[in-house]
Amino acid sequence: MSTLRDTYEAVIGLEVHAQLMTKSKMFCSCPNEFGAKINTNVCPVCTGQPGSLPTVNRNAIELGVRAAIALNCQIRDESIFARKNYFYPDLPKGYQISQYEKPFCEHGKLTVKLKSGEEKQIGITRIHFEEDAGKNVHAAFGTVVNLNRAGVPLIEIVSEPDMRTSHEAGQYLRALHSILRYGDICDGNMEQGNFRCDANISVRKRGETKFGTKVELKNINSFRFVEKAIDHEIDRQIDLVEKGETIKQQTRTWNSGKNITELMREKESAHDYRYFPDPDLSPLRITKSWQDKVRGAMPEMPEQVRQRFQKDYNLSDYDAGVLTASKELALYYQETVKICSNPKASANWVANELLGRLNAEGKEVYDSPVSAMQLGDLIGRIDQGEISGKIAKTVFEEMFATRKNPADIIKAKGLVQISDTGAIETVIDKVIAANPAQYADYKAGKVKLFAFFVGQVMKETRGQANPGIVNDLVKKKLDS
Amino acid sequence: MMEFNQLDMRSLLEGYQKKQFTVTEVVQASLKAIDLKNPKLNALLEVNAEKALTRARALDADISKASEKKLFGVPIAIKDNILVKDWQCTAGSKILEGYRAPYTATTVQRLEAEGAVIIGKANCDEFAMGSSNETSHYGSCRNPWDLERVPGGSSGGSAAAVAAGMCPASLGTDTGGSIRQPASLCGLVGLKPSYGRVSRYGVVSYASSLDQVGPFSRTVWDCARLLEVLSGADKKDATTSHLEVPPYAARLQESSLSQVTLGVAPQWLQGVDADVKEAFDRSIEQMKKEGAKIVEIDLPRTRYSLSVYYLIAPSEASSNLARYDGVHYGFRAKEFKDSEQLYNRSRGQGFGKEVKLRIMLGTYALSAGYYDAFYLKANQVRRLIQQDFEAAFQKCDAVLVPTSPSTAFKLGEKTDDPLKMYLSDIFTLPVNLAGLPGVSVPCGLDKKNLPIGLQLIGRPFEELKLLQIAQAHEKIQGVLRLP
Amino acid sequence: MLTRDEVLKIAKLARLELSEDEVAFYQNRLGRVLDYMTELKAVETSKDAFVRHVPLDAEPFREDISESFGGRDALLKNAPALEEEGFLLPAILESE
Repeated sequence: MSTLRDTYEAVIGLEVHAQLMTKSKMFCSCPNEFGAKINTNVCPVCTGQPGSLPTVNRNAIELGVRAAIALNCQIRDESIFARKNYFYPDLPKGYQISQYEKPFCEHGKLTVKLKSGEEKQIGITRIHFEEDAGKNVHAAFGTVVNLNRAGVPLIEIVSEPDMRTSHEAGQYLRALHSILRYGDICDGNMEQGNFRCDANISVRKRGETKFGTKVELKNINSFRFVEKAIDHEIDRQIDLVEKGETIKQQTRTWNSGKNITELMREKESAHDYRYFPDPDLSPLRITKSWQDKVRGAMPEMPEQVRQRFQKDYNLSDYDAGVLTASKELALYYQETVKICSNPKASANWVANELLGRLNAEGKEVYDSPVSAMQLGDLIGRIDQGEISGKIAKTVFEEMFATRKNPADIIKAKGLVQISDTGAIETVIDKVIAANPAQYADYKAGKVKLFAFFVGQVMKETRGQANPGIVNDLVKKKLDS
Repeated sequence: MMEFNQLDMRSLLEGYQKKQFTVTEVVQASLKAIDLKNPKLNALLEVNAEKALTRARALDADISKASEKKLFGVPIAIKDNILVKDWQCTAGSKILEGYRAPYTATTVQRLEAEGAVIIGKANCDEFAMGSSNETSHYGSCRNPWDLERVPGGSSGGSAAAVAAGMCPASLGTDTGGSIRQPASLCGLVGLKPSYGRVSRYGVVSYASSLDQVGPFSRTVWDCARLLEVLSGADKKDATTSHLEVPPYAARLQESSLSQVTLGVAPQWLQGVDADVKEAFDRSIEQMKKEGAKIVEIDLPRTRYSLSVYYLIAPSEASSNLARYDGVHYGFRAKEFKDSEQLYNRSRGQGFGKEVKLRIMLGTYALSAGYYDAFYLKANQVRRLIQQDFEAAFQKCDAVLVPTSPSTAFKLGEKTDDPLKMYLSDIFTLPVNLAGLPGVSVPCGLDKKNLPIGLQLIGRPFEELKLLQIAQAHEKIQGVLRLP
Repeated sequence: MLTRDEVLKIAKLARLELSEDEVAFYQNRLGRVLDYMTELKAVETSKDAFVRHVPLDAEPFREDISESFGGRDALLKNAPALEEEGFLLPAILESE
């Protein structure tokens, strides 16, 4: 059955601002770090003192080139830094150094996997460099400006309006995030605002080729509600169209508390930013040989790691995909394997137990209470027969809850597996003695009762007996 | 006590080496001259006797090493649009009233590293926008040759301070003639280096693609010595050249006039005052007599310089001056009901008439719909002007032209008409537009006993050749006396 | 010639509050100067020709080394108003 919504399609384009992982700011040597005391990472340049001049951070450019290569963009030999002029308290120079007419790269693409199993290619219009603004802190008595972040290097990645559903947008964003993380280009921390996304959304009747009026949805700063926020906006626009109202060009923001998008501002007459080439900087030249150098030193991208995992660890395509979904996870998995030397078991534990628990608690890999080293240690103990797989799950739960090492938990709770045949035989004798009727039946040919005796022995040993040994010995005793 | 303030810089340096006097004595003489003359001239906006004397005593303790420093014990005034840590830096504007520089400009660091003593901050047109020093919020500066007249601008205070004998040298900035024109009007040597020769770090930006720092002095040798200290790449200014800096002063005598060809553009000389023209022709004749070859050149597109300059400079300025908003430093309007008004009033009240005119002109030239016709077009014509010079330098080593079409004019004489004022820079503007070095040297006095300046324009980064020609000219004419 | 509204629009873009007298004054002055500049229209130029004022041997890059300025107090001392070491101004509406 087709719903009203199915008669419409959305057109979505995303603009992502990603902070570059440099040591210093874009145009001055101030530290690029989060969380410093107010107005401490500042100097004459980033506070816009008279007479100060910008100097371009070479590493910022290299990280940008990495992004351009990872996103299959065409890099310009020569691009221009331009001034974007507007007044705002967090912008101490009264202009932002950015790139306008000639960004450093254009015409890229990113392939994303959809839940249907299909792949879709999303075009990248352009990537350009710019400096971040400071932070206006709004208080009751006024606005207080902190310039620590002013001048931090950013790339802005602008997609083509190629996405049609919130799912596609979400997958694009995740894939982009993953690439920037894998490339050590951006740390991807959304809470700190190091990876920020704005969406341009419009709707139109299916089959229509013209774009509708677009609404800009600002500050989508968590993966958790990307889809929800976009869906809500799509629904809002469809409702308006259905009611015969016109969609106004607006900027809206997602209120994650109320689960709605809210109006930030109506688009007045377009801003006149009076862009012009920054006369303090020469054209940005990125030579072919420089590009080659960056290409040669590129960190592994998700697709390469996935292939490597399949090959080196003999993982299925699916498992390799799950384990490389983020760089943190891939590193976690790799570290786990290094400790226990069991790729298959590591894959199961990481993909099922660990991710399951993390998802249930809404945690990310980087704040997992169980470290890769601890998990590897746990798996090693199963492989060495110290504990059973079943007991290991109990131990894992405890590790997750308490951050303790497996050895400590096993010791404290007396969970060490019993492999002592003498001790196990004693228990078997006890069980047989306690169940004479079942023993008689077994002897009479009811061999199915074998499982009953094994179960009883395991129960008596509270699951700590080595199941393999128990099997062998029970068989031996019953058949003797 | 000797008349130190009659000495040029080189004589001071020699005196120190011969232990004829101390830095403290020289600085005291400087401060005395300032006390005596500054109330009338208004050349210096801030003087710090204590700082200067402390510095002088420190240098005196090391006077045996005088010969190791290129500017040992030389009192120097710094235009008030160049930052010196802890000194005021107003750029002649109300909007920077009370602003204390949090750091020191690269050029000033270099002067100090060579033993110079900063004696004061010199008056200038507001944000270096002017040709007479009359746009300064802190009052006009006057010409030591005639107190009724302007010293030129925008570096009027820097020129007046040297001409009045307050100090043997000073720093100015030149965006469209702001060193050469006041040097001409005050009878001094003033040089604007090739774009990128000298660091702009710590210089209040007016028009970033045109601004350069340069020296004022009484002699060509002094100018050469100052230039070799100021020049060279600076990590903090991405527009500075890495070309080696020659020891300009030591190499002044290497070339004679018989080895040079000088270009004169006849169409440039129309509209030049008769006295100025006469002095110019006399200089040409003298140099010809010494063996210089004179050729006629044509610079057809330089006639658009005024339009090009007054589009490009204000465009860049409109952006460069956006930082003065009353939020982070500088003047903030007393009354405002919200942040919008804080911006509008602080800027409306903090900037003077001419600065607001240029900000609006530039804002207009960059705004949507006008960018191509104004800003872009101006930059394209700028390229043509540069090409005119490139062609001329195929035929000659330096271009000669009067620095200014007239000598010092009276205060208020040209303030009513912006274009009339702008025309006093007609011979200096094209040099900035083409990024070339230009030096103004004295070439006599007019009938009113006012100095006349001759401008030499050279190929990019050929300051040495320019100074060698200037040196030969000075040898013929002699060093101009102080007023 | 510029209209009064054009002058007001430019002044707004440039964040300059002008008195009535100033509006008239700048309308006249800007008009005169801009009229003069129309002479450029007649000059034939090529689209790509744009002056490169920066010397070709200028070093365009700085190495990525972080360094603290050390003169923070001198920067803050110039602020017209501070609150808890932040630059203070009346509350602004959230917009770009």
